[in-house]
Amino acid sequence: MNKDLMGKVSFFQVLILNAIGRLVEKPLADWFEAMHVGLSWPDARIWCNQIGALGGTMRSSVVAATVAGILAADSRAYGQGTILEGFAFIERVFKGARKGKSVKYIVAEECARHGGKPKFMGYSRPIAKGDERLAEFFNIQKRLGFPVGEHLSLALEIEKVLLEDFDEAMNFNGYICAFLADQGLTAQEAYQVCAVLVTSGVTACYVDTFERPPESFLPMRCEDIDYQGPPPRPVPLPDER
Amino acid sequence: MKSKHENITSREQIFAQRPATRVWEEQSSEENPYLASALRCHGYDLHELMEKRSFIDVLFLLFRGELPTGDQSQILEKLMIGLINPGPRHPATRAAMHAGVGKTNPAHILPISLSIMGGAHQGAGCIEPAMRFFRQAAKRDPKIVCCELLQREKRPTEGDWHPVPGFGSRFGGIDEMPRKLADQLSRLPGAGKALLWGCSFSEILRPYEIGWQFPGVAAAVLADIGFHPRAGAGLFQYFQAPGLLAHGLEMVNKPLTALPFPSDENYFIEVDSDGH
Repeated sequence: MNKDLMGKVSFFQVLILNAIGRLVEKPLADWFEAMHVGLSWPDARIWCNQIGALGGTMRSSVVAATVAGILAADSRAYGQGTILEGFAFIERVFKGARKGKSVKYIVAEECARHGGKPKFMGYSRPIAKGDERLAEFFNIQKRLGFPVGEHLSLALEIEKVLLEDFDEAMNFNGYICAFLADQGLTAQEAYQVCAVLVTSGVTACYVDTFERPPESFLPMRCEDIDYQGPPPRPVPLPDER
Repeated sequence: MKSKHENITSREQIFAQRPATRVWEEQSSEENPYLASALRCHGYDLHELMEKRSFIDVLFLLFRGELPTGDQSQILEKLMIGLINPGPRHPATRAAMHAGVGKTNPAHILPISLSIMGGAHQGAGCIEPAMRFFRQAAKRDPKIVCCELLQREKRPTEGDWHPVPGFGSRFGGIDEMPRKLADQLSRLPGAGKALLWGCSFSEILRPYEIGWQFPGVAAAVLADIGFHPRAGAGLFQYFQAPGLLAHGLEMVNKPLTALPFPSDENYFIEVDSDGH
């Protein structure tokens, strides 16, 4: 029974305790809560949120639709699915920097791993250049009393080079992985804490369509699909076995 | 002045105006553009497919874009029978059974158990790596591949050994059921290079107490009949889905007491050596 914790610590302290086995101080739990708020933006155009909206229009249960959206964000492109790779990146380059590699060299080395492009995890972003959430995050971090640690400092130096050479900035993943590495979390621990990262935005998009007529969310006519397959053809009979 | 993190610009990417597909054509009805008057799968009318072809043929067509040969259809059907049920001891099936007995909404039983079946151990998560392994390894002598493997990989001191995707030990021994499945499939005319190579490889591995695993057999057959590795995970989940659902549904009308619930004497909280 959680009676030792109920009413004494925040929900996010318990969420983190259950995910990593350690009771963290409230400021770190508050940081995680702010992060979850940042990822709960209910824009139904975002892939995981649109799945929630589709669940609402299909009258799926709110639980099924929300879980489906959370599963969708276990992705290589966005959401909590990117945390392991983001951590792997910052830990790899941090080791390189410790060995005396310059940030310019590190960026060139990482670009070489990605076909000469700066498309490594934590930097650049689909749809937009830059990430509007970061400025607020740096404010929150400062307010909660967290200094810029070694990993985040390196991440910012990398961003500086990328901005100069490629006009590409750090994204949310780059920030959170570097920050959490500074707080002593492992990649797997950070991934575990963030298991339901996008949940609230998905639920909001579900509710929005659930409250409207079924199948009224972006309904599609037959001709709204661009069929590019073979033209009509007769079905041959199967081979004799 | 704006900080660098407030400077957001659109990439002005051009998104598709309409979703494109080569799989399915829905011919619009004249009266209502939201309703279809004919359905075609890769150009074949669905009702004509119903008349002339088997379910397995149409399943193959759906994913591969062309109807299978008789040999391809036969080996896919036999594989699907062989994999139809992971059995009541499998963690994914147990998840289905717990959902069933727990009075979970029956519509959730399959997604719940398929999520567990997506795991990288004995599940869908190891199909893609196994298919990629076959792509490379099946070009080489299995004895040499085995030698290299034994030099490179170390048997863990605890738990089973899975030195390559699709092969390993299970509960400390060789699982004979996937071997039997692979042997039976390998005698079919549709058996291909990956499956036959895997059968030889499995025999070479036998002295080391490792062998075929079910995902390995599925990966070999899927690779042989031309499926892309990225398709492997979902197809494996699909093949195992009937058994998962059957075991889950078997539980839905049973009382909560129908499954074991460890007693308080057998439930304890472990404490680390450092007292945590």
